[in-house]
Order: sequence, then structure tokens, then C-alpha cells
Amino acid sequence: MSALHLAAVACFGVGVGVVVLTALASLRVRRAADRLHFLTPATALGAPLVGLGLVLENGWSLTSAQIAGTCGLIMITGPVLTSAALRLAAQREGTVPQESPE
Amino acid sequence: MNPWLAGVLALVGIGLPVAVWIGSRGDPVDRLVGLELAGVVAALALLAFAQAVAQPSYLIVPTIAVVLSFAGSLLFARLLAPRS
Repeated sequence: MSALHLAAVACFGVGVGVVVLTALASLRVRRAADRLHFLTPATALGAPLVGLGLVLENGWSLTSAQIAGTCGLIMITGPVLTSAALRLAAQREGTVPQESPE
Repeated sequence: MNPWLAGVLALVGIGLPVAVWIGSRGDPVDRLVGLELAGVVAALALLAFAQAVAQPSYLIVPTIAVVLSFAGSLLFARLLAPRS
């Protein structure tokens, strides 16, 4: 069992822990806007850590490239989805105009 | 059980039920948040599963799932917007 394998498992475990804990923490709040704040650590911290762990385990290969690409997609699309859902919540609460930003 | 499979079990056994629970209760925006969380958790679980069973060809599934989840969530956000 090499140090690289241990580092990979550690990164993967921390990433999974972040995702699971943020999911559980989002149960403790009621408003959708507050829940969306707990989605951010899962996409911005949990996904890259899981991807880093898998990349460390696989080394330099096409498999690692696909894992990194998938985790990169999660990191890019996460904030977009969060802002879209926040805008929707604000429109429904009436804090921004319904036609915004058109 | 290898550590990758343990991660899959944690994500599917804890993270996904929580996301489904959030996505099945409350108003439409709450459900959308649950859908977004479920998409992230499912994609990471599928990534870890491909590693757990040592089948790199399975990696295409989470890659496509992330793209489709993104498009689907944006579509729901658009359709749920109130109409003036």
C-alpha cells in the first residue's frame, strides 16, 4: 500500500464526507435559498476532492482525463444551477421582477 | 469491500435518499434544489462505482449524466418561473 494510494483514498474519503455532510446539513434549513448554500460545497469542494482521489489512484491516463473532465463539468455547472435556482426563488418571492433579466 | 465501494454506499445510502427527500417535499423551488443535489450525488456515485468495479468504460455514464442533469435542471428553472 503506497503513500499515493493512501493519499488517493484520503482525498476520496474527504470528498465523499463533504458531499454527505452537506446533504445532511441541507435538511436542517427550510428555505430553498438557504439549502442552495449547502449545495455549493458539494460541487465546489466535494466533487474536486473525489475527482482528485480517483485521478491519483489511476495515474496519468485517459481514465483520469475523463474523471477530471466530469468533475470539471460538475464544478462549472454547479454555480450556474445555483444562480438559476436562486433567481427562480427570488422571482417567486417577489424580490426581483418576474421579467428579470429579460 | 474496497474504499471506492464504501464511498458509493455512503453516497447512495445517505446522500441520495436525502436528495430524494428534499426533492419530493415542499414547493417547486425546494424540489428543484433536491433535483440538483441528486444530480451531483448520483454523478459522483457513478464515478466511484466505475473505479470500484475497475471498469473505465462505465465512466461515460456519469459524464453524460452531468450534462443531462444540467440541461434538465435549467429547463425546470425556466418552466417554473412565474408568468406575468
